[in-house]
Amino acid sequence: MIEVEHLSKYYGERLAVSDLHFQVQAGEIIGFLGPNGAGKSTTLRMIAGFLPPSAGRIRIDGIDILEHPAEAKRRIGYMPEAVPLYPEMRVREYLRFRAELKGVPRSKIASRIEESLHMAGAAEVANRIIGQLSKGTRQRVGLADALVADPPVLILDEPTAGLDPNQIREVRRVIRSLYGKKTVILSTHILPEVEASSTRILIIHRGRLVCEGPPDRIRSMALRPAFLLLSRASHSQILSALEGLPGLPKVHARGEREGELCRYEIEFEESKHSPEELGELIFKHIAKAGLSLSELRIRTSLEDVFSALTTSEPVEEGGKSPLPPSQA
Amino acid sequence: MKAAWIIAKREILSFFLSPLAYVVLTAWTLWQGATYAIFCYYVAGSPVGSGVENDPLAMLFGQTTLFYIPLLVFVPLITMRLLAEETRQGTLETLLTAPVTSVQVVMGKYLAALVFWLSLWVPTLMYVWLTSRFGDLDAGRLLASYLGILGVGAYYMSLGLLMSALARAPMSAAILTFLALASLFALGIVQFLPVSEAALEVVRYVSVWQHMQNFSSGVVDSRYLVYDLSLSVFGLFGAVQVLEARRTHP
Repeated sequence: MIEVEHLSKYYGERLAVSDLHFQVQAGEIIGFLGPNGAGKSTTLRMIAGFLPPSAGRIRIDGIDILEHPAEAKRRIGYMPEAVPLYPEMRVREYLRFRAELKGVPRSKIASRIEESLHMAGAAEVANRIIGQLSKGTRQRVGLADALVADPPVLILDEPTAGLDPNQIREVRRVIRSLYGKKTVILSTHILPEVEASSTRILIIHRGRLVCEGPPDRIRSMALRPAFLLLSRASHSQILSALEGLPGLPKVHARGEREGELCRYEIEFEESKHSPEELGELIFKHIAKAGLSLSELRIRTSLEDVFSALTTSEPVEEGGKSPLPPSQA
Repeated sequence: MKAAWIIAKREILSFFLSPLAYVVLTAWTLWQGATYAIFCYYVAGSPVGSGVENDPLAMLFGQTTLFYIPLLVFVPLITMRLLAEETRQGTLETLLTAPVTSVQVVMGKYLAALVFWLSLWVPTLMYVWLTSRFGDLDAGRLLASYLGILGVGAYYMSLGLLMSALARAPMSAAILTFLALASLFALGIVQFLPVSEAALEVVRYVSVWQHMQNFSSGVVDSRYLVYDLSLSVFGLFGAVQVLEARRTHP
C-alpha cells in the first residue's frame, strides 16, 4: 500500500533522512519509533506529500506522490504533529470544509462528518469553536479530519502527544479499531505507545532505519535483560557463582579495572523472569558465593536508542518499567 | 476551480468572523463618508457645471489623494492574513496535503481577496444613490470609475497576496504590502518632477494617480487595464512560486 524507496531528505547541508527503504502492506498498522529529531516527522511529511524528498520515491497504492500528487493525496488522511486548525471555525464547519476540499461527494458529506466525529470521539464538541478547545480535543478533531474522507491510508504524526492517560487510551482504542480496515503509519517517541497499537515497528535514529519487526520482537530486543556489575571478584569466580541462573547468562569482562574493581557485563538469552527478578537472583547468587559486589544495574541492549524513548512517559497496559533495582 | 472556490469560501468566512474585518470596514466607511461629505460641500460652493470638479463621486473615486492614501493602509490590512496566517498557524500543511495544487490555493485566496476588496466599495453605492437623488449622476463616468477600481483592486490584491505568501506572519505581510504599494504610489510623484518625456510616459503608465484620475473622469484607457492584468498575473505567479518554495524549505 505504501512503498518508500531509498528516501533521503537534506535540509541545506544537514541530512535529516537517509536512504529509508520500507514497504507497508494494506491493513498494517506501522509504528514509527524514534527519539525527537530522528527524522520521523520529516519522513511522514514526505509520505503525506507536503515536503518533496531530496532523493527516492514514494508510492501510495502504486501512485507516485511526486508524479500524481493530487491522486496520491486523495488516498491519504494526514494528521500533522502540531494539529494545526483554524481557531475561528466551529468543529463541524471545519470538517465540512476539509471534506469538500478532499472531494467527498456532496451527498455523503454530512454522513462522513458524523461518522468521523464519532470515530474520533469528538461528537460532543461538534458545535464548539476550535479556538476554545483543549489540546486533547484538538487532537481528536485532527483525527476526525484525517478520517473524514474515508481514505485507505492514515498518517498520524504523534497522535497521542500531549494527551492525558485517559485520552491516550481512547486514541489507542480508535487506532486499534482501524486494524485491517486502514493502512496506518503512526509515529511516536514512546515505546509502549507503538507496542499497544502497532502490528509492526520501525525504529529510526538519526534519519536511518535502525531495526524493524513485530512489537514482541522489538520488545524482547529492547528489554532483553542485561546487567552491569562491578566487583572485586575475578571473571571465573563470577561465572561459577552465576551458574544455574535461568536463561544461560553470558558474562563479559569489559576489562575496565577501576582500582581493585572490575566491570562485568552479564547478558541473558530470552528469559521468563522480569529484569527486576533477574537482578535479585544475580544479587543472591553473588552473595551466596561470598563475592564482593559494589554495583549492580540493568542495561537494555538498544540502550543508545531507547534511553530517549522509554523514560518519563506514562507506561500502562502491561508495559513494564525497567527501573534499576537499588541493590548494592 | 472548485477547490479554489472551497478555499475562497473558508477564507471569506474566516475574514468576516474576525473583528479585524469590522474594524477595517467601519474605519473605511467613516473615512469615505467624511471625504464624500467634504466633496459635496466643495461642489455645492462651486459654480454650476458638469466637469469632474462638479461631480463629488468623481472626486471620491480618484480625483484627489484622499483616494490613494487610505488605501495604502487599508489594503495591507485586508490582504495580510491570506497566506501568512496559514503559515503562522501551521494550517498551510493541512491545506497542501489535501488533494489541491498550489495554483488552486493561490486562486482561492485571490478570489477571497477580491471579495474583500469589493466589500470596501459596496458602501459607496450609498453615495451613488445620494448623488442621483440630490444632483446629477453621470452614469458613464460612474461605470468607468468602478471599472478602474476593479482594475486597481485586481493588482493591489495580487501584490498583497504575494507579500502574504512571502511573509511568515500577517504583520510582516502588512508591512511588505504597504512598502510595495507606497513605492508604486510614490512613482506617481515623479510626474511632477522635471524628467524626460519618455520617463514621464512610463511613470504615468505605472502610476495609480493617473490611472484613477482617468477612469474617475470617465476615460477608459485600455493600456491601464493591460497594466492591471499583467501586474495581477505577476503577483499570482509569484505567490505560487513562493508557496512551492515554502514546501521545500518549511
